[in-house]
Amino acid sequence: MNKRYVMVHDENKCIGCQACNVACRSENDVPEGVTRLQVRVEGPFGEAPDLHFKYHRVSCQQCEDAPCVTVCPTGAAYIDENGLVSIHNDKCIGCMYCVAACPYKVRFINPITKAADKCNFCKDTRLARGEQPACVTVCPTDALYFGDANDSTSEVAKLLNTKITYQDKTHLGTKPRVYRVPTKRGGIQS
Amino acid sequence: MIQLNRRHFLQGAGASGATCALASILPGSLAAIEKQPLKGVSSEVASICEMCSTRCPIKARIVEGKNVFISGNKEAKSFGGKVCARGGAGHSLLYDPQRLVKPLKRVGERGEGKWAEISWDEAYQFIAQKLTAIKQQHGAESIAFSSKSGSLDGHVFHLAKALGTPNTFTHASTCPGGYVIAAKAMFGTKMKRDLGNSKYIINFGHNIYEGINMSETRGMMQAQMDKGAKLVVFEPRFSVVADKADEWHAIRPGTDVSVALAICHVLINDNLYDKLFIEQFVVGFDEFAAEVKQYTPEWAESVSDVSASAIRRIAHEYASHAPHAVVDFGHRATFTPEEFDMRRAIYAANILIGNIERKGGIYMGKKASSYNKLAGEQVAPELAKPGVKDMPQITAKRIDQVDKQFKLMWSSGGIYQSIIDASLDAKPYQLKAWIMSRTNPMQTLTDRSKVEQSLKALELVVCCDLYISETAAYADIILPESTYLERDEEIFDKSGKNPAYYVRQRAVETIGETRPSWQIFKDLGEALGLEQYYPWENIETLQLMQVNRDHNLLKHIKKLGYVSYGKPLMLREPSMVKEFVDAYANARHVDHDGTFATAMKFKTPSGKIELTSAQVEDMAPGRGVIKHRPVQLKQADELYFIQGKVAVHTNGATHNVPLLSNLMSSNAIWIHPITAGRLNIHSGDAVQLTSSVGSEEGTALVTPGIRQDTVFAYMGFGSKNKELVRATGKGIHCGNLLPNVVAPICGMNLHTTGVKLAKI
Repeated sequence: MNKRYVMVHDENKCIGCQACNVACRSENDVPEGVTRLQVRVEGPFGEAPDLHFKYHRVSCQQCEDAPCVTVCPTGAAYIDENGLVSIHNDKCIGCMYCVAACPYKVRFINPITKAADKCNFCKDTRLARGEQPACVTVCPTDALYFGDANDSTSEVAKLLNTKITYQDKTHLGTKPRVYRVPTKRGGIQS
Repeated sequence: MIQLNRRHFLQGAGASGATCALASILPGSLAAIEKQPLKGVSSEVASICEMCSTRCPIKARIVEGKNVFISGNKEAKSFGGKVCARGGAGHSLLYDPQRLVKPLKRVGERGEGKWAEISWDEAYQFIAQKLTAIKQQHGAESIAFSSKSGSLDGHVFHLAKALGTPNTFTHASTCPGGYVIAAKAMFGTKMKRDLGNSKYIINFGHNIYEGINMSETRGMMQAQMDKGAKLVVFEPRFSVVADKADEWHAIRPGTDVSVALAICHVLINDNLYDKLFIEQFVVGFDEFAAEVKQYTPEWAESVSDVSASAIRRIAHEYASHAPHAVVDFGHRATFTPEEFDMRRAIYAANILIGNIERKGGIYMGKKASSYNKLAGEQVAPELAKPGVKDMPQITAKRIDQVDKQFKLMWSSGGIYQSIIDASLDAKPYQLKAWIMSRTNPMQTLTDRSKVEQSLKALELVVCCDLYISETAAYADIILPESTYLERDEEIFDKSGKNPAYYVRQRAVETIGETRPSWQIFKDLGEALGLEQYYPWENIETLQLMQVNRDHNLLKHIKKLGYVSYGKPLMLREPSMVKEFVDAYANARHVDHDGTFATAMKFKTPSGKIELTSAQVEDMAPGRGVIKHRPVQLKQADELYFIQGKVAVHTNGATHNVPLLSNLMSSNAIWIHPITAGRLNIHSGDAVQLTSSVGSEEGTALVTPGIRQDTVFAYMGFGSKNKELVRATGKGIHCGNLLPNVVAPICGMNLHTTGVKLAKI
């Protein structure tokens, strides 16, 4: 594996504004009615005045051990040379096993291509042009970081070494590569 | 239905329904004309956004002739090359099949929704004939013009002046007027805030994490996250900015002025204010100090529900960070009819700690002319103002000119609501025509039914817009403007701490038959026989006039889209002044304290900051001194009704844009669990709000993020005209619940009122 692309979502900086959602749709031509990425503003939790929202990034977690890949009967779902969970549209038969298997509920059948679809860190679009993913590019409050965690000089590597982070549903052994910096208001100090 | 399950939308914002199918094709819409191949102008164009009035610098990427991706323009450093959801959705507006691309003429009754497509010439001739007849019979002053402020109001109001009417209005009195007029009275000019360098920020519900203003939103987040600034928020609702705050105080709606005054009381009483600054630069301190003596934190607690000990502690913490601390003077919401003194009290809390022209405080914009003067050299080019000589002398008084207490507002956008009284009751005289551009008073002016009656009462109503907005639905003629992605415009001054300019440029060729507003209002002027007032041919000629025919400068500005000059400067910040003086050999002499403090110029009658204003006292006896006046915003058995901004929509403008409508198409009514419990209301229940002027039915969202005595809804939803297909009938219409009020001095309308809540 050459690279280990990861995304870090700082929930302290995130304001749930959906700029990432819109940029993702524009860059990747995501059809109406389905979504690769959104931030759900959940809550408020707690007792007033000590309330807090949770800013929950909902998108492909780029699992290192990806259930969607394991269950795919045709090899349409695969992991590429840089570890990105990807889809061969031509090989997809629309059986939706992957949709059902994904513990994060972020895969869907694209109504235009009729193939399974989800966030791939803008692999075909922005990454291919040497740019950062669309969501990272536009994030108004710089809440998103993207890069190669194998490169110890990268911003993400430094972040992972210095900040408390968590990943979603790690007990499933999926090893997600979307890391989250928990909000201070949630009780965990980062 | 697996796809439907995949659609997660904004929580608590009311999920959007299934994809909106077009019931029928709207006449004059993009869907109604033939599809044509689109031609891109170049691969990437630097321009200016128009999805809201912040107008951030953007870059639009064109692929295969189609505008596909909008990001920020990195040349503008404080904007960081970022865009918000609205800015990123510009292409969704551009290619929306429901957008108007042909002029329309009403063929049924006003508001009935019957339209015929007409040519531009027919539209101009119709309007010109009507206006000429009205002007002859009733005088030009019987014609009102209103426009969204910004790039196009200059062209709209130029036509008004050429025609001879003084009645021009921006959205000021529905939005920023309060803090603008308060600043004018105290400083003689508008002020800017330096949130990014602030170490302690007190915020009265200025929700810049939902009402995104890119440079300020970024600045405040950087101050909080990277520099450890403390943020204190007073707001009746748990908004995103309240969530991100270190402290949230659920203040009683409309009582912010009492807390601001109590903070001033503590600053003075506990000797925490900057005496030297006050002595040198401020008049009226003694009168103010005598007045605020009574406004103790204990008194403020009884008014606002914010604890006295918290107010006292916050005032001390704030002062301990002086001068790099700020009380944010806010934005749109008018919490109380005492808006003017609320904003003045906030400015007073800034003045007392001497944060004027200091890092993290408030400051004045440094345009090229004043900056160059300080530098002693031509650091930044100065743009010419292409004026027109011999404009008609207008002798008629404005309709809002009856009471001199509103004097400061006449030249700052006017009192928009006065159109209602002038249209319906001939107060102070009868209006006959209303020409509008990109403004939606049915949503923003309050008391919707009165606005509707006004629109029906007039002889001529013309709207220039992108959609058949709720207001345009009542027009006789709708003139379709090109979107900002299809328009070229003049160069705009974007100076902050140093001079800067930026320019809007077309990213794609015009779709359909739309025209830019500068052309629409020029064409209309010519149809009215006013050619002599239009010495320019097009935007290019105007731009060249601005740059004094310096082609290279124009090319430079257009290439980068945003250009800034010199170093950031705040006149009383020694480190910045030193850098400035080191850079410019002929710079102005530095004061003995190492600053340019004595270069500060306040365009007030006294030439100083007016904490107490003789001018205001003359305009409205008894109002010279900042004072607390009790107001009744609701009856005892009512709840407060408040509104706010959401990050994916802009006021009354974006609710039909497909991408944004899909994100959020409705507004839920936030209700506290205890209040909801008393009425057996659960989240998702249909509920009714009834105020003194109207009634709205919506969906309940039961949440602890609101006071028990208050209900909240995001504004701009619930349009009532059928043409706005994606927005109509979804959510509650806030303007229909708010009474028509004119606040003293600043003429603002009102965004807090009493409502009765009932389960349906």
